[in-house]
Amino acid sequence: MAELRSEEMVLNVGPQHPSTHGVFRLVVTLDGEQIVDADPVVGYLHRGTEKLAEDLQYTQIIPYTDRLDYLSSMLNNYALVHTVEYAMDLEVPARAEYLRIIVMELNRVASHLVFTGTYLLDLGAMSPFLYAFMERETIVELFNEICGARLTYNYMRVGGVKWDAPAGWLQKVRDFIPHMREKMRMYHNLISGNEIFLDRVKGIGVITQEDAISFAMSGVNLRSTGINWDLRKNVPYGIYDQFDFNVIVAEHGDCLDRYWIHMKEIEESLKIVEQALDKISEGPVLGKVPKMIRVPAGEYYRGIEGSRGELGVYIVSDGKDKPYRLKLRRPSFVNLQILKKMLIGQNMANLIAILGAVDIVLGEVDG
Amino acid sequence: MSDEDNKQPEKQPDVAPPATATAKPAAKSAKAALPPDPRVVAAKATGEAMKATLDKQLGVTAVVEVSASKDVPILVIDKAYWVQAVQFLRDDALQSYDYLRMFSGTDYPNYIEIVIHLVSRKRNTALYVKTRTERDLAVVPSLTGLFQGVNWEEREVYDLLGVHFEGHPDLRRIMMWEGWKGYPLRKDYSPFEDLDERGGNV
Repeated sequence: MAELRSEEMVLNVGPQHPSTHGVFRLVVTLDGEQIVDADPVVGYLHRGTEKLAEDLQYTQIIPYTDRLDYLSSMLNNYALVHTVEYAMDLEVPARAEYLRIIVMELNRVASHLVFTGTYLLDLGAMSPFLYAFMERETIVELFNEICGARLTYNYMRVGGVKWDAPAGWLQKVRDFIPHMREKMRMYHNLISGNEIFLDRVKGIGVITQEDAISFAMSGVNLRSTGINWDLRKNVPYGIYDQFDFNVIVAEHGDCLDRYWIHMKEIEESLKIVEQALDKISEGPVLGKVPKMIRVPAGEYYRGIEGSRGELGVYIVSDGKDKPYRLKLRRPSFVNLQILKKMLIGQNMANLIAILGAVDIVLGEVDG
Repeated sequence: MSDEDNKQPEKQPDVAPPATATAKPAAKSAKAALPPDPRVVAAKATGEAMKATLDKQLGVTAVVEVSASKDVPILVIDKAYWVQAVQFLRDDALQSYDYLRMFSGTDYPNYIEIVIHLVSRKRNTALYVKTRTERDLAVVPSLTGLFQGVNWEEREVYDLLGVHFEGHPDLRRIMMWEGWKGYPLRKDYSPFEDLDERGGNV
C-alpha cells in the first residue's frame, strides 16, 4: 500500500479578515496544524503621511496624525505638537497642559477598552465587546463635546489646545471616573477570572526580554516581559512628572500578561485624570505662538508613551514653515515585526490569540 | 557662538539644512547675538568625547562630524565603519546603547542620510548616529545582524528612499507594491508624472 502523502499548506489570512482589525494580510505556511512560516504583508492602508507632511504647514499636519492610530488620536496630536514645541522652546499655559493630560489619558482608557473588547471578540467572547464599547462611547461623547468630533479630534495646537472645556465638562469627567472604576470591577468579574479565557491565553505568545529589546518593542508589549520602561516616567515630557501613578510591569511576556497590563493601565490612567482634575485652574488655553510657525533649522525627535508604545515624531527642518522631512515612529509598525517569530512553531489555533494581543492598529502600521 | 555659526557652512558646503540646532536661518540673523544654548554646548562636548572613544576603539577616524540637537549628541559615522561603530555602542559596557528606538532616512541635495536614535536604558541617555551615502548609488551596510527590529525599518527606507542595505536578508518593498518604480520620499520624486510607467494605474 502506498504511503500517505503529506505536504505543507499555504493559508492566506486577510487582507479582509475580522480579526486583523483593518487590512492586514498574513501568509501562513502550515504543516498539519503547526505554523512553519508566517509572512506578514502590510501597506494596504499606506497613505504616505510622511510625504504629504512635507507640503503642509505644521498646524495643517495635525489632522493627518488623527488618522494614524485612529483609536488614540489625541496622543497622536500631542506627539506632533509636543515635538514642535520642544524644537521651538515654546511655553504651554498650565490649563492647556492639564487639559491635554486629561484628554490623553481618557483616550488611553478608550483605546485600551477597545483592545479588551476586540481581543475577547477575537477569542470568541461576544459580550465583553459590547460592554467595552459602552464605556468607550461615554469617553468618545466627552471628546465630541470638547472638540466636536468623535474620532478625528484635531484638538491640539502648537502652544496649547484649540478649545477650552465647555461649562460643566470637567464635572462630567469627574463623574465618569467612579463610574468607570465600578465597571472595571465588572470586567474583572466577567473576564479576568474566566477559566476558558485564562486557559486560552496563558503561556501563549511568549516574548523574551532579549527579543523585546532587539525588536525595539515598546509600550505594553515591552512591559509584559518585565522591563520597566514607560516614557511618562523614564523620559518625562509635558507635566507628567507632577503625577503619582504606577508603571505596570508583568513578568511572563505572554498574552495573558498583555491583557492584564491593559486592564491595570486603565486604572492608572484614571488616577492621572483624577489628579489633573484636582490641579487644573482657570487660565488661557493657547500660549503666545508666532503667527507663522517656523521650526528653527535642525533636527528634533520626541517620543511619547502612546497607547501602543513609543510614539515618536522626528522633524528635520530647514527653518521654513513646513518640515523638510517628517518621520513618524509608529509603535504598531515596530511591534508587529515580532509576529513572525512568535507564530513559528505555534498551533494554528493560537494565531488569532497571538495577533490580537500585540494590539496593532493598521492605520498606524501603514502610516 | 558666532564663530561656530560661521564655521558650519564651510565644513559642509553642500548641506541644504544646517545639521545643528544652533545654526539660524539667514532671515533671523538679527537674533544671532543670542548666547549659545548651554544644552547644545554640553551635548557637543559629550559627542566629542564619544568620538574620541569610538575612533580609539576602532583605530580609524570613524566619526566624521559631531553636532547636537538640543541636549542630544549627534555622531556622523563613515559608512565603511557603520556596523562596527553601532556594534561598539551597543555592546560596550560603558555605552550600552542597546535600544534602537528610531530608524529614519532623509534625502538631501547631495547625499542621503540614514539616522538611528539609540537609547541607553542603563544610563537613561539618548544618542543620534548617522551615516551618509551618495544619492545615485545609495548603499549602506545593514544593521539587521545587530538589531532584529531594523528589518522592516530598513525595508521601509529602501521602499521610500531607495537605499540598498547590504546584507539585509529580505530587502523587498513594504509599503508600496512590488513593481512600483521610484522612491516617493526622494525630493526629486513627482507624484503625478509617468504614473502608468510606474505601475500607478492598476
